[in-house]
Amino acid sequence: MSDVRREITIAWAIARKDLLAELRGRHTAVSTLTFAALVLLLFGFALGPDAHRLADAAPGLLWLALVFAGLLAVARFHQIETEDGALEQLALYPVDRRAIYAGKALVGAIAMVILGILVIPAVALMYAVNIGPAWAVLVLTVVLGAIGFAAAGTFYAGVTVRMRAREVMLPLLVLPIIAPLLLAAVKATTAALTGDPFGELPAWLQLLAAFDVVMVIAGAGTYGYLLEDG
Amino acid sequence: MPQTTIYASPRSVGAPELLPPAVTTHELARLFSGNAALAGVTLSVEAGRCVALLGPNGAGKTTLLRILSTAIRPSYGTASVDGIGVTEAPDLVRRRVAYLGHASGLYDDLTGRENLGFAAAMLGMPPSTAGQRVTDLMEQVGLSPFGDQRVHGFSAGMRRRLALARVLLARPSVVLLDEPFAALDEEGIRFVEGLLRSWRRTGVTTLVASHASERLMGLADAAVHLANGLVAAAGGSGITAVVDRPAGGADREPGQVPAGPLGVGA
Repeated sequence: MSDVRREITIAWAIARKDLLAELRGRHTAVSTLTFAALVLLLFGFALGPDAHRLADAAPGLLWLALVFAGLLAVARFHQIETEDGALEQLALYPVDRRAIYAGKALVGAIAMVILGILVIPAVALMYAVNIGPAWAVLVLTVVLGAIGFAAAGTFYAGVTVRMRAREVMLPLLVLPIIAPLLLAAVKATTAALTGDPFGELPAWLQLLAAFDVVMVIAGAGTYGYLLEDG
Repeated sequence: MPQTTIYASPRSVGAPELLPPAVTTHELARLFSGNAALAGVTLSVEAGRCVALLGPNGAGKTTLLRILSTAIRPSYGTASVDGIGVTEAPDLVRRRVAYLGHASGLYDDLTGRENLGFAAAMLGMPPSTAGQRVTDLMEQVGLSPFGDQRVHGFSAGMRRRLALARVLLARPSVVLLDEPFAALDEEGIRFVEGLLRSWRRTGVTTLVASHASERLMGLADAAVHLANGLVAAAGGSGITAVVDRPAGGADREPGQVPAGPLGVGA
């Protein structure tokens, strides 16, 4: 088996294991969906009943809900490893560290995409946004955003996993880093929902893709050091 | 200055042929927040030997095993497994070593079979052979009836057995066990004793850290007694160790790094 194929097999084994654990426990699904719904609901209340105002704010609120809920997801997929010393065992397998990172980032991205597919209709309903014609572009934006977010989130979840204050530290570290991703994702979503009158959608999608590439390369190259315990 | 004596014990008197060492350490030390958990251990273990690591809590047994497993890096000194340095080529060492620490390293939401299946995938076993191997191991450790139950409901002893099955799955040449008898009932203890005999027969090198020294009598070829991060005594066959006793016979303060070998400490 070639090295790349073996790494892909390992990454999928890790992602599959986390998905299986999630299907059994549903810890992440319950917490992220509830949290995303609460974010949308509370921001809706804060903005008031003005339909235009809500529709204008919808792209930003969609991504805030996704990012906040996504933080819970990437943290949870690392927390699985801290129970019963599994992280040390994971680090002791004779596998390339990049494959472990890829597996963790993959499961984070899958969770984020599923979350996005569920949250987009909720946003459409709650903020009276017509997403019909923009559905495909929105999904593409969510996929690109999910990859970049999971790439950065997985790296920092690895940084904070052994910290006592990891729940506090993870958002503090991730949110500034993903600012370009958040900006590009919100702009791309806005362009998609408004029919892209200024033709800026491709540029924002390219920025998202570039962010993904940089984050994946940086994360894969450095994540291995985080598994070293001293 | 600590008095240092060389303790060497060939396989048997009159037959001094020494097998190549499976595990060697030289002045191995590890500091945690400035305190030495391991303060300069020099040790060599022949391939195929079972060595008991004894000593009180905080003696450095777990730290020694964790360094050899590549879980942590040494602060000073060197360690190697089958001639491969743990810091130079940790990936190659990981292919040879299986380590079972205090925690079992299992996933609560997966079944016993799924936990072993995941380990098989991580060890690079093809799915076609992994399934049967997992089934055989579940039977071997006496967990076949519980194979499809989530580990969440397993007792501490069952978790330990499953973790031992994972050790067996790896087919290692060196096994490092930290308190393997903990949480096991009599049947489980006999199972571990059987495993240790089996590994000894098949030439697998085993280092076992345990407080249950009486359990290891008759099972281990040699014993190394650690105290304050140093080898306080060593005996048996198939090992070479530098026994380090503080000058004047007084015990070194816990955590104090010896002067000399490390060039630090007092």
